[in-house]
Amino acid sequence: MELIRIDTQRAYEAIRERITTLELPPGALIDEGKLALDLDVGLVPVREAIKLLVHDHLIEAPPMGLFVAEVKISELRQISEIRLLLECYCAQQAAKFATPDDLVVLEALCREQSQVPADEPRWLFELDHKFHQAIARAAHNKYLADILDDFFGLSQRLWFLALPHLEFLPAAVEKHLELVEAIQARDEGRAETIMRQHIQSFYDKVFEILQNLSF
Amino acid sequence: METKSHKNEALVLGIDTGGTYTDGVLLEYHSRTVLAAQKSLTTKRDFAIGIEKVIEGIRIQDPASIQMVSISTTLATNAIAEGKGKRVALFLIGYDPELVASFQMERHFATPNFYYFAGGHDLFGQEKETLDLAALLEKTNQVKKQVDAIAISSYFSPLNPEHETRAYNAISQVCDLPIVLGHQLSTKLGSVERATTAALNASLLSVLQDFIVAVRRAMEHRGIEAPLMVVRGDGTLMSDEFAARSPVETIHSGPAASAIGGRFLSHKDDALILDVGGTTTDLALIQAGNVTISETGASVSGYKTSVKAANLLSIGLGGDSHISVDRENNIVIGPERVVPLAYLAHQHPEIQIRLKALTQKTWPPPTPTWLEYWFLLRDPGDDLRSFSDREKALIKILKDGPIAIPDLVKQVNALHKNQLGADELIRREIIGKSGLTPTDLLHIDGRHTPWDVKAAEYGLKLLSNHLHWEEPGLTEFIWTLSSEMIAKAIVEFLTEKKVPQSSAHSPDLGLWFFRNSLYAEHPHLSTQIRLQYPIIGIGAPADIMLQDVAKLLHTELILPDHYYVANAVGAIAGSIMVSEEILIYPHLSEAGMDVISYFVQARDGREEFEELDDALNHARKSGHDRVLSAALRSGADNPQVVVEEIADGIDSYRIRLQAVGNPRLSK
Repeated sequence: MELIRIDTQRAYEAIRERITTLELPPGALIDEGKLALDLDVGLVPVREAIKLLVHDHLIEAPPMGLFVAEVKISELRQISEIRLLLECYCAQQAAKFATPDDLVVLEALCREQSQVPADEPRWLFELDHKFHQAIARAAHNKYLADILDDFFGLSQRLWFLALPHLEFLPAAVEKHLELVEAIQARDEGRAETIMRQHIQSFYDKVFEILQNLSF
Repeated sequence: METKSHKNEALVLGIDTGGTYTDGVLLEYHSRTVLAAQKSLTTKRDFAIGIEKVIEGIRIQDPASIQMVSISTTLATNAIAEGKGKRVALFLIGYDPELVASFQMERHFATPNFYYFAGGHDLFGQEKETLDLAALLEKTNQVKKQVDAIAISSYFSPLNPEHETRAYNAISQVCDLPIVLGHQLSTKLGSVERATTAALNASLLSVLQDFIVAVRRAMEHRGIEAPLMVVRGDGTLMSDEFAARSPVETIHSGPAASAIGGRFLSHKDDALILDVGGTTTDLALIQAGNVTISETGASVSGYKTSVKAANLLSIGLGGDSHISVDRENNIVIGPERVVPLAYLAHQHPEIQIRLKALTQKTWPPPTPTWLEYWFLLRDPGDDLRSFSDREKALIKILKDGPIAIPDLVKQVNALHKNQLGADELIRREIIGKSGLTPTDLLHIDGRHTPWDVKAAEYGLKLLSNHLHWEEPGLTEFIWTLSSEMIAKAIVEFLTEKKVPQSSAHSPDLGLWFFRNSLYAEHPHLSTQIRLQYPIIGIGAPADIMLQDVAKLLHTELILPDHYYVANAVGAIAGSIMVSEEILIYPHLSEAGMDVISYFVQARDGREEFEELDDALNHARKSGHDRVLSAALRSGADNPQVVVEEIADGIDSYRIRLQAVGNPRLSK
């Protein structure tokens, strides 16, 4: 248990959370000293954490300075294209390989989602993440699961950008339920279609919002 | 120290956090030379404070030259005893609720939140019932916001952990709490002990993690950059990462470290180790150079676990035990630990004057409760919102200084000290107690006099007035009583039998034999109890409190150099050990008549072989590599693997693998 690793992990999680929840908005300047003071850790772990976040594409390190990465529509299109392909493939594979245990997990997550109050967006967000992880696990390909989790991370900030426009959330929960039914029925085509609609509508919504915000 | 800085010098730091004191030693590992020792009061509310003080107090010229820090701690034992562990939900898979209830085992689970689920295996490792995963997940959703960790134990999971693993996989996908699995902590088949062990481990996870991080920070402040080891209950060492994952293994690590330290310093391979601390005296036996291990698994606060630990007996008698008088005017020593009067008066000189006044008072004669003082151990600050009115009143009164019990009772309008309602304040170390202790008697004898001798004398005088007993005779009686209590503990520890309660006219032959052996009371028959090993005394009061014990049992008392910090020496003297137990048992046909193949069940995996020999060979080879690699990762130097094979019923085997090595001390 080296302190530097523990503190780096803590700093990484805390800074990442500030970025994804937009507390540190896109384009914001990163002040290492202030972060170290705020988080009550040393400067070294903060620097290590920032390196990891640069790797995550959440912080940009141009030759001069350190900034929270901008949300660029052009890059988002690239991300969404790959994520759409992978998530759909994943849904199809899940319909093929899901075990009874995988289904029990998916059902439990859906049930929990339907019980989350509308004013608990963070909870809903975490559940959404868990649900996508569970689908990836049901596909029984750990490399696919790892890649998808990285892509999910890239889209996390969009979620919070879209938060003020919550009306699409119940529909998303509805889609999750349909998806589980398709997987249960081993209907690969339907699982793929539902996932496509689900992901596509999320990005459509996000693009709409971003254009209005004129990023 | 400059003269010693030759190339092979290996400096190591050992720390023991006991019930009363935290001890630290700086030791040169190869020559076994203690270079410096330091004692500090243990701070139970936060053990790290005492540890930081000890590390600060030891003169270390070059902190960067320290090559290992090792620590034994009563943290786990204390957290369990005081209910300070985290909240745990215990999921029992395949357990029979009625059977558990019929043996009244519920209260043994170490958590009130336990739940039963369908599933589990039988003693052939075959599924006895389908696992109800949906129910597990539903319960997880219900409780996940009310607990800090989840423990899972499935019936016969050491033979087949499939249900525990499946439950883990599913639950970890729906919640982020730490999850502990029974089969990873114990390969013994006892299902209740396994569940208890898992629940205790879950409740201690973050407690021990926080502790390790705190120790690491204290090391960092002093510029010590070295591996950190934690002592197990059997005296062996594990890396801090191991300890953070399996905190239950640290139960009894303090007494185990004392025993190891006693052997390390005395070079005796067979001896009885007696560690006299402030609060307790702990007994352990060293045979052929090793601490004897309890066959049944460690017990703590009435909970039976399947954790391997030293065979120990602990009695509530130490240098700071409270000497008081019961209702029949019998003198009682312990089990409560208090601050000696000599020390209290040293801190608050007015106490000496008040005690003197009491000894001169003739009417009404002051009772021994006048010797019991309460005082504010630490100021809780001005924010008293979390306290009851009575608690606030007590704090306010004690802010003016220590006060004797009868006065305190009067001031809060109570009738008896049992009504003071201060349990919580005492537990949180806000209020402390002081009274007459063996340490005070040592002040009077002139054998140990760092504090206020007069106060101790007045204390004894008051007791002597009350009992109408001349002081020299009274002191002698108290020492005899203390020696008898320890001698009795030794006899009970070694025989595993009870010596009956002393009473003047008991017809019990055992009691007669015991007393006659100590005091030669009978005119015609003489008896003797002779301890065949020497007693090795450890802890500051050992010198005084054990001399007579050794005489009573006709043996020798050995006080090795630095015996007062041998526990801290023991924290570094142990070997690093990693062990695993692999179970091999037959896979039977449906009818149970034919052996289809053999299962090899290791902690983290299960494989199947057609031939028994292949199964055994695979278990030996894979287990060997795993424990060896884990020992190397834990910092062992050239670890040696010992393999033990035990036939465990028809066609079934247990293969025990242990990789043991001294810590690697090179930068």
